[in-house]
Formats: sequence, structure tokens, C-alpha cells
Amino acid sequence: MEFDKNSLLKLGKLSKIKIDDDKLSSLSKDLGSILNFIDRLQSLDTEEVDPTSNSLDQSLVMRDDIAIDKNSANEILENAPEKELDFFSVPKVIE
Amino acid sequence: MKNDLNLLDARDLLAKKEISSHELTKIYLDNIKKGEELNCYNTVATEHALTEAEKSDIRRKEGKHKSPFDGIPIGIKDLFCTNNIRTTASSRILSNFVPTYESTVTQNCIDAGLINLGKLNCDEFAMGSTNKTSYFGSVINPWQSSQSDAKLVPGGSSGGSAAAVAADLCIASLGTDTGGSIRQPASFTGTVGLKPTYGRVSRWGIVAFASSLDQAGPITKTVEDAAVLLDIISGHDEKDSTSSIKDKENLFENLNGSVKGIKIGIPKEFESNDLPASTQKAWDECKQLLQSNGAEIVDISLPHTMDALPTYYIIAPAEASSNLARYDGVKYGIREEGKNLIEMYEETRSIGFGDEVKRRILIGTYVLSSGYYDAYYIKAQKVRSLIKKDFNDAFQNVDAILTPSTPSTAFAIENEPNDPVQTYLNDIFTVPVNLAGIPAISIPFANDENNLPIGLQLITNSFEEQKLLNIAKNVQDTIDYNHKPNKWWTND
Repeated sequence: MEFDKNSLLKLGKLSKIKIDDDKLSSLSKDLGSILNFIDRLQSLDTEEVDPTSNSLDQSLVMRDDIAIDKNSANEILENAPEKELDFFSVPKVIE
Repeated sequence: MKNDLNLLDARDLLAKKEISSHELTKIYLDNIKKGEELNCYNTVATEHALTEAEKSDIRRKEGKHKSPFDGIPIGIKDLFCTNNIRTTASSRILSNFVPTYESTVTQNCIDAGLINLGKLNCDEFAMGSTNKTSYFGSVINPWQSSQSDAKLVPGGSSGGSAAAVAADLCIASLGTDTGGSIRQPASFTGTVGLKPTYGRVSRWGIVAFASSLDQAGPITKTVEDAAVLLDIISGHDEKDSTSSIKDKENLFENLNGSVKGIKIGIPKEFESNDLPASTQKAWDECKQLLQSNGAEIVDISLPHTMDALPTYYIIAPAEASSNLARYDGVKYGIREEGKNLIEMYEETRSIGFGDEVKRRILIGTYVLSSGYYDAYYIKAQKVRSLIKKDFNDAFQNVDAILTPSTPSTAFAIENEPNDPVQTYLNDIFTVPVNLAGIPAISIPFANDENNLPIGLQLITNSFEEQKLLNIAKNVQDTIDYNHKPNKWWTND
């Protein structure tokens, strides 16, 4: 089973991953194989089953809202590929 | 001086002042240098380690050591953020990332005085079972088959963590396990790998893969060392809302190797004609051994075992596609320029991620997309409930479950199948445990006919690590597994 190439390009757009033409064929084969594999679950009857999103049997723990002096702008910006003043810098969005 | 110590050996030598932390750290940095060919480390923190070792020696001299393990050098999977030490997740997209903060787990290690030797290679974003998806290249398994000198995979994703312990490039290491990433490489390298209960160890500061499954744990030479390291890294962390509020236990102090009256379940779904004869033999021998040591062996059923892998390959990619959305070339990591903002994202992520990571992001995006969400993602979460229930039912009747850790021993790097699904099958015995959130350990039991390690997996119910470690210790002490890889990469 191969994954439809147009759907794959759409998925690439949704995922913000550029898919090169020379990878399209092998990738659609790989995804087809994975989908075929996960489709196995469709035969299971889960009508009466509740979903599990997290296995920990504990309600959400709250912590006190206390200000801490960490993660300064300078620290955070240290790893930014591009920055200007105290901001991350990105290509122009509005013309 | 010996250069193949475990944590307890090193603790004793330091206590008796037979060695300093500085000397010990130098020995292991030297081992790392000699073992460069194994490609275990992405970053060796030489100066950091030596400076910290000197500080440890001063603390010990003044009687102010932070714990009995103060000054012992360990390796850290390159998935834990370490302050001022590059952290890459073995991905090109993070290849220049230097965190300005420390993960809770590594901070706990610092608080116990452990020395960070460097960052261990792994599969990219912990996605893989062979360590071949790393941007920095494959880790080489220190073990070689007696039949061939082909280079073998160390397993993954914590392949560097496991190989480094087996090759004495650190005394113990930290890994993470989302679907088997501690236990499978431990099994392939003759080491002990422990995946704790979900919530036992804080995930804060660990590069996220699949947040509802990820759990950090130790890879060590012995069961005792696994208990020591889990004691050090575990505990409630208010920075991780899924961290358990249960009181910390003293697993190491309370370790006893008794299995008297313990019931061990053998799940029939794990039995297969495809299992290598040597693995089947090891499994059978372990059952007999436990029985003669006073345990009772009980046949059990985990009916949804074969559904676990497809469930995992929906849930893990779904969570990954969401978690990895943060890598956009803006806040950290590399950027590839594009004509506009969207193209910049697409170009950056296209060159920044490797093939397996891209596959998982695409599959994850697919199963979460409109029209497929219920059919795949919710369906998988429902099956996850069934898998969890299987274990709950089983633990009504047994204390622990014994299975093989992996369907094969280590294989040649060049023999990895082309179809990704075939590679996924490596985790068939480990994945159900992550979906249920319960703890499990892989311990080396014997070597196969090619002199490659066979690991067996013990599983207990949530937060029953003490029982798990006790049974593991019983097996360890009875078999006295003492095989070691011949160090073909050194001239010593």
C-alpha cells in the first residue's frame, strides 16, 4: 500500500516540512507501510472503552504562584538564530 | 588501577581514599578517548568534568561530600538539558543548542555529587531502536559476534548510554525510555536498564518526544547500581505536573534478593516460534531458576499484547508531531533561510530533521488531522485502556511478569531492514509497558551461540520498583552473569 502523493504533500504543508520530489516516492511507501500496520486496530471493538491519555492515576498537582528570577531575556535569546534588541527576529510577515 | 568499575566499587574506593574523584574521572576520560571509534559521545565535557571532580575531592577532604557517590563520573543521554553543555537530541536541528538551565534529573545527579562526563549519542529525538537515526552517526556496539567482525547496533534509542556502560566509557549512565529505549539497548549490550513507573522521575528539562510515555531511568552494570541511580534521580518535582507526589523510597537500602512466595507470571502472548532458540532457552532457565529460589511460576494472558505496537505507533507520533512543532528556526537551533516566514519554517525543518523523525511527524500529523482523529488517535487511546487493563488484571494474580526483553540479540548495522515497520518490531516486548505506565527492568541473563548478550525483562505494577529490583537481584545473584566484551577498540 502506498500513501497518496498529493495527501503526502498536504501533510508536509500541515507539518511545515518541505518534501523534496526525490523523496516523495520512498516516503509514500514508508507511510503506506506504517498506516497498514496501525490499521490493525480498526478490527478491535472499543465501543464501550474510555480512552487513556495518561497512565498516572493522580489529579493535576498545583504549585504556589511565586515569582522567580530566572530565564532572563538575555539568557533565552542566547540560542536564537537571529535577534534584534530584546526580540527574536523572523522574516518579514506583513508587506 | 581498575578501569571497569561499577557505582558501588567506585563508592568504596573513594570512601577508602584509594582513589580521588579527579583520578577516577581522568581514567574514564581516557577510556572515552580510546573508545572514540564506538561513537558513544556527542559531546565530551572534559574540562567541566575535571573541574567538578576537583571540587568533589575538596568536599570529600573537608567531610562535606554530598552523598557516598560524590565524585563518580557518569554519562548522560544527549536528551537531558545540561546547563552550558551542548544538548542536541542527536538532531541537526539542535546541533548548536546550549541550554541555559539544567534538567531536574541531571540537577538531582549534581546534588548527589555525580560528575557529568558528557552527552551520550542516541537516536534522533529518541526515535529509533538501532541508534542509526542519530545526526552524529551510529553508535557501535562494544560486543561483536564470535562468527563475524561486522559492527553491530547497540540498540536504541539510548544506544550510547548502554554501549558506554558496557565499554566502560562511564560508570553508569542515564537514558530515557518511551517504547523500550532503555531496556532494548541494555539487552543488546549486556547491561541493566530500568524504566521506572511513569511519573516516578521528572521529565522537566528532557527534550520531549511522547510526553505521556517518556520516562528517564538508569543504565548500569548491576541491579544495585540501578537502585542507587533511581534513588538519586527520582522524586516529586513541582516543575513537572505529571510527576508523582508519592514519597521517595530508599530502593537501594531496602534491596533484598528474596523471591520466596513471589508469583511470577508468564504471558502466553509473548511466546512465539520466531523467538531464537537461545532466547527461549534463557527464558525457560530463568523460570526454573526463580522456581528453585522459591517463586511460583504462573501462566497468564495479556490478550492485547499484539495491539500494543500499532497503538504505540499512533500515540507516540501524535505526541511527537505536537512536541516537535517548537523547532521552527526562531527560538533556538539552526535556521535555514526562506523567501518568507512559512518557507523559512519548511526549509529549516526539512534540513533539520532526519528521515525517521520526519516520518513520525507526518504520521502524527495525519492521525491528529480532521477526519482521522477519532479513527486513529482516540481509537489508540481506547486500546491503550485495554492494554492497561490487561496488566491490572494480571497483577491481581501475580507479583511480576517475566518475558524476553527483545525478539533477537544485537544485529549488524548494515542489516537494518528498509521497511521502518520491520525495525519497529524490535520493541514488541517493551512497548506494552510504556503504554501501561508501569516499571520494568532488563537484565543480562546469558550469551547466545554467537556470544551476544540476551536480556530478560521483569515487569511489576505501578510504583513497585522495590519488588522489581528485588526479583532482578535474585536472578542476578544466582546466575552471576560475568561476560564482558573483549575490548577490540583498544590496544590494552
